[in-house]
Amino acid sequence: MFRLLEETGFSRVRSAVVPRFRFRKESTQNEAEAYGVKAVMMTALKPV
Amino acid sequence: MTDAASAQESLEVMLKDEIVRMYQEVADNPKGAFHFFHGREAAELFGYAPEWLDRAPAGAVASFAGVGNPHERSNLQPGEAVLDLGSGAGLDAIIAAWRVGPTGRVVGVDLNPAMCRKAQAHVAATGAKMACHEGRMEDIPLPDASVDVVISNGVVNLSFRKRRVVEEICRVLRPGGRISITDIVSAKQLSQSIVNDPKLWAS
Repeated sequence: MFRLLEETGFSRVRSAVVPRFRFRKESTQNEAEAYGVKAVMMTALKPV
Repeated sequence: MTDAASAQESLEVMLKDEIVRMYQEVADNPKGAFHFFHGREAAELFGYAPEWLDRAPAGAVASFAGVGNPHERSNLQPGEAVLDLGSGAGLDAIIAAWRVGPTGRVVGVDLNPAMCRKAQAHVAATGAKMACHEGRMEDIPLPDASVDVVISNGVVNLSFRKRRVVEEICRVLRPGGRISITDIVSAKQLSQSIVNDPKLWAS
């Protein structure tokens, strides 16, 4: 997603992990962690 | 159309149906058990201000199914035009409407027309206004350069065509416009069994 934003021409692309995100079910959370799944916040600007 | 393209199209149709079903279920049965946190519990987890949650219609709060808080860094200003991409039951649109005020404008886009109607009713109950359009994030039903800010919460990851979604977001933003999006990303390529299973993908 970060890369897609840059490739599309967005500038000042920033991302940060949403620290408290997790799945409710432990089994889903474990599987998500195995795939490196996380929630992120992204901000970016469309150039003038 | 190639076999691969045809298979992709079929999968996208199944995925659309599953997304509509799953998030409709959250809206219709907010006390249900889902594998993700939702409702007020999730919103508090992600730092939504308690006064927002107290003030918003209970139905909008109970049906919240986001993965973070796009308002944390959206820096919305009075008078701005905002698109909430995948507006769901409307909690993020309501907060955006409060922040841009009566001189601003909030537009929602959602795959599910029933959710659009629900979001509009929730926003109207707060005294604010929101136009919600049924549509796909890969073909956003808005003119070029028509909004100042795009917010979205846990939606873009649901698309098989993320590049197209990002291009559409860029198209509807005015030059100098900005995004504040919270979403799910994966560091590793998901297995084909997950990609081919609309239930898992929609999760």
